[in-house]
Amino acid sequence: MEIFLRLAAGATLLGSEAAEAVGKGGFGVNFDILETNLINIAVVIAVVVYLGRKFLGKILGDRTAAIETQIKEAEQRKQSAASALASQQQKLAQAQAEAAKIRASAEEGAKSARAAILVKAEQDVTRMRETAVQELGSEQERVINELRQRIALMAMQRAEGELPDRLNDDLQKRLVDRSIALLGGGS
Amino acid sequence: MLNFIVAPNSFHLASLEVGHHLYWQIGNLRVHGQVFLVSWFVIGLLVIASLLATRNVQRVPRGIQNLMEYALEYVRELSRNQLGEKDYRPWVPFIGTLFLFIFVSNWSGALIPWKLIKLPEGELAAPTNDINTTVALALLVSLAYFYAGFSKKGLGYFAKYIQPTPILLPIAILEDFTKPLSLSFRLFGNILADELVVAVLVLLVPLFVPLPVMLLGLFTSAIQALVFATLAAAYIHEAIEGHGEEEHAP
Repeated sequence: MEIFLRLAAGATLLGSEAAEAVGKGGFGVNFDILETNLINIAVVIAVVVYLGRKFLGKILGDRTAAIETQIKEAEQRKQSAASALASQQQKLAQAQAEAAKIRASAEEGAKSARAAILVKAEQDVTRMRETAVQELGSEQERVINELRQRIALMAMQRAEGELPDRLNDDLQKRLVDRSIALLGGGS
Repeated sequence: MLNFIVAPNSFHLASLEVGHHLYWQIGNLRVHGQVFLVSWFVIGLLVIASLLATRNVQRVPRGIQNLMEYALEYVRELSRNQLGEKDYRPWVPFIGTLFLFIFVSNWSGALIPWKLIKLPEGELAAPTNDINTTVALALLVSLAYFYAGFSKKGLGYFAKYIQPTPILLPIAILEDFTKPLSLSFRLFGNILADELVVAVLVLLVPLFVPLPVMLLGLFTSAIQALVFATLAAAYIHEAIEGHGEEEHAP
């Protein structure tokens, strides 16, 4: 790539050689305004700064404003969230207190219900015992009565069965007489 | 050696040199010193700007912090558009460095009157008007996309070469050479051509006539930085995605 392109506008050998001599010397500063293109670059920089400041300024300003509003919104959301949290915590505390109250009253109710049930059960037991005893007595009486009737009946039957064999006229006459005597003695 | 006499005037106006360099000898290497000087200047500029922007970080960005955050956002957006939401994050520094370095190099070449400083040989200009700089940047891009492909898919990266059909294998291999070639030549050619056009116009008509070309040069310089960074991101994306996965992508 050893292309050497030299556009030399000045044909003055002296001038170019002088410039070359300066150029070969080492690092230096070139103050030739036309050669260094200073004016054009200044104009370009001015245009870029003028247009760029408007353009970039608008973009960056919008960006800052957007970030600010976002931060503000986020802070508002944070605050509202915090207040919501506080109110919810208060509600939670209230609900817990309510729950404790309900629980205490329920326990109390349970205790009283237990006592009431115990008393009632005891009463029931005694009543049942009483009724059982009563029922037992009446049953005994009924059975005794039945037995008595039955024995009387059987005795009558037995007596009626034996009566034809043992009874004769004489005996019957005596018996009637005795009965009449008994009747007469009773009046 | 070609000598052009532009106008046989009797007074010296200006001279334009291409291919003259300030050579430095480092070991066996002959390096172009003027490129290093301006590169260091650009690097220093970027480092100082970054330091200034991050020295006193505010919650609501103002001034240079705002500007640099805007630049970062721009670069991040660029790489996200190319690489996709999933993979873009690790590549933002690389792509951002490419973009910022090329952009600031191009604009410094156009906006700073480097010709005020006379060198023993050659002249100070944008680092990107030297083919060595752009080739170095393009080879970095090649390394980056190979690294991206291998780290993502391992040896399966080679499947990309025969993915649609093995017939395209030579073209796929050729692509790995044409990518850095086109990247480097595009950037180098644009910047050098722009500076040459401005220099020639300045020789012919020193005042005001070169202004439109200089403004156009600023525009193309910015576009070239954008193109380089975008293409680098696109190549990395291509290496990460591959042909097979693109069909499944929604």
